[in-house]
Amino acid sequence: MFQISLYTALGLSIAGLLFRIYRFQKKGSSGTLKLKLSLNLKPAFFNTIFQSKLFYASKTRWAVHFLVFSGFIYLVFFHALDEWIAFNLFQSYQPTLDPFQFLRDFAGFLVLIGCSGFLLRRILNTWINPDNTTNYKGLFPIILILLVMGSGFMLETIKIISEPVFLEMVEDYSDIDEDTDLDHLKIYWETHYQVRFKKDILITEEALEHGRRLNTDYCLDCHSKIKSAFISKALATQLDKPANFLNYYRADNWLYPIHYLLSFLMLVSLPFSRFFHILLIPFASAQQKMTVRHFQEKAVSIHPATFSACTNCGLCSAVCSVYPNFLITGNKQILPHFKIESARKMMAVAHLNPKKLNQLQLGNDDCTLCHHCTDICPSGIDLQGIWQTLPQTLHKMGYPDNYTFVKDTALQERENKEWEKEQADRAYDLTQNLTGRVYSFENCVQCTVCTNVCPVVAYGGNDNDMTPQQIMNLLRLGKKQTAAGTRMVWNCLTCYMCQEHCPSEIKVADIIIELRNISNQTTDSLKIMGAADKADK
Amino acid sequence: MKLAYFPGCKINFYLKDYDTSFQSLMEKLGVDLIQLPFNCCGYPARSTNFEVSVFSAIRNFALARKYDLDIITPCKCCFGQLKYAAYQWHENKKLKQKMECLLADENIFWDGKTKITHLLSFLYNDIGVLELKKKIDHKLPEKKIVTQYGCHALRPFTITGFDNPHAPRIFEELINITGFKTVEWSKSTECCGNPIYETNKSLSLKILNSKLTAALEAGADHICTACTHCQIQYNELSFQKECQKHKITPVLFTQILGAALGIKKEKLI
Repeated sequence: MFQISLYTALGLSIAGLLFRIYRFQKKGSSGTLKLKLSLNLKPAFFNTIFQSKLFYASKTRWAVHFLVFSGFIYLVFFHALDEWIAFNLFQSYQPTLDPFQFLRDFAGFLVLIGCSGFLLRRILNTWINPDNTTNYKGLFPIILILLVMGSGFMLETIKIISEPVFLEMVEDYSDIDEDTDLDHLKIYWETHYQVRFKKDILITEEALEHGRRLNTDYCLDCHSKIKSAFISKALATQLDKPANFLNYYRADNWLYPIHYLLSFLMLVSLPFSRFFHILLIPFASAQQKMTVRHFQEKAVSIHPATFSACTNCGLCSAVCSVYPNFLITGNKQILPHFKIESARKMMAVAHLNPKKLNQLQLGNDDCTLCHHCTDICPSGIDLQGIWQTLPQTLHKMGYPDNYTFVKDTALQERENKEWEKEQADRAYDLTQNLTGRVYSFENCVQCTVCTNVCPVVAYGGNDNDMTPQQIMNLLRLGKKQTAAGTRMVWNCLTCYMCQEHCPSEIKVADIIIELRNISNQTTDSLKIMGAADKADK
Repeated sequence: MKLAYFPGCKINFYLKDYDTSFQSLMEKLGVDLIQLPFNCCGYPARSTNFEVSVFSAIRNFALARKYDLDIITPCKCCFGQLKYAAYQWHENKKLKQKMECLLADENIFWDGKTKITHLLSFLYNDIGVLELKKKIDHKLPEKKIVTQYGCHALRPFTITGFDNPHAPRIFEELINITGFKTVEWSKSTECCGNPIYETNKSLSLKILNSKLTAALEAGADHICTACTHCQIQYNELSFQKECQKHKITPVLFTQILGAALGIKKEKLI
């Protein structure tokens, strides 16, 4: 049973791993050119063993995570794999011998505390911020680890109090035949090792002393005092009453498969759940980080596996430079930890909801590439690289940035009275509303001073259509949307040369910037409509 | 003197040497720079969403206000945007109301009193050219240098109040005390082309190229900048084939002044 499930789990896990690797390879990298594969082993090592980046990001979260990490690693190597590792490393290794007995309980205790910390943070998060949707993907590993730990402790406890286990051990490891000897050993174990026996045996000093000698002869080599297994001992004390019942039904025989099956479930789910971060974070941390030079030379490549290394911890969004954009526009796709999730889905499945992709494009457009998220990311993901290559990928999929979108859309399409109405409804009184108030541009005498000082007019050539003074004229003709769609408005450097030189003191640059705002809104609406049409199809 | 250091978004990844040289310069001048978790100044959002751009800036002011600090920034686009947002806050009552509500949601407030300075205006107005001249102990060789003023600090003058927008002098005066010799050129107040680099690269490079031609005509060895975006744009020179024929290199003002003040080279790059 054990062997079969172990090999099944191992097989499934490896098959899953290969499947994931195959998928990653098939998806290819995001970005234009491939970099030479160069792994940075030093940051990968420190980030894997000590979680150094998490330490810099948040001390509390590091402490909690490290509890789980260290406890878990100990349990894997010295408890789960003890046959291969611990027995070979230490001559005198026995799971029931100190210090291993104590360390096992201690490690389990650390993991329990850590996982409770994880859970507590999640509960507090949803409590403080009700909008924060619970992430079940992140909840699964925590619950599973807690179940494995819980079943482990219960198993140990029940083995401690179990009479049948005691009798089996006596049979296997001693040559006690006489009933009185056995009774004396029972007495000693009942008082010192908390085994609960069905029949009460009269305890005498003499019997106890004899039991102690028998214990020294047969048991002491492999059994340390029970108090070092402090959690199981405490639990055993609690289970005093139902002990006989549990012993009668051999609860240990039930719990053992539960314990190892849960552990195998962990192994199977490794490539498909949040557990995968154990393997992906070392990989992501080892990936070469993009430098300015890479971007200038357009030699950028992001491995798709790094997308999946995200554990959705949200530390990136807390330091995001454009967080205020999110506060006003409410577009979640501005925040890095939502963006990477969408980007990951986008890479994994081709047909993602067009509305969401559109939001992703608009959100990613707001990114100022400040590198804060990459600096803090505990998984060591090169987020900045992703944000910089994302627009290209989105463009290929039919979600260009606003500049390209306006360039490729005919001006006539924007001449739609509905826009005017819709935009009038929005809170325009908050802006200066220069384009809506005639006095802000009516004084233009078409003297061409603005045109003469404009660098875009001077060097734009065929790339440019109107001049600033013509924009003013379009406004006077009431063609706001046409003006908003011109190349002049979108090529404007916002250098304010025109405004500073205008003899009529017209705020030319401010008007052009406001036109670009309007144009952006129109474009966003056009895009959302287009995305909705795509979604309908 | 304590000031809140507003680095701006780009400096962290694209121009680390400006960050380090600016910090060591301030250290040398005895200014305590306080690093606060500032967000974007709002300049990139200015052409997409007016409210977002103003709110981003105001949120930074509120943060600086919380620690009772004035803001200094080495970036001219940030400087211009912060000034612009403060101006809008004072001018536009309805906007102010909305911003106050948004700030109240986060339990912060701003009373409109935070002072915003750029590196150059700080050196010129708060330290003083004469005071700075006394501190210079490493006179630099007499190389010809042209200045790049940076649009958003200079214009609109009514809002930024940086210097005379048509014939600015601050930058030249500050450079001349280091030993470098500034030369007049026609394009000192014109745009470097960076704002449209992402969207219209060819036009952006054409503008950059025109500036280089003008600098070459003036016989300059270096172009001096005191703005993150301008320097990033000029750094493009080494990567663009069409620009490589020019032998002019861009230098950061903080590095020049730092060298003249005797700051070690390691602390400037």
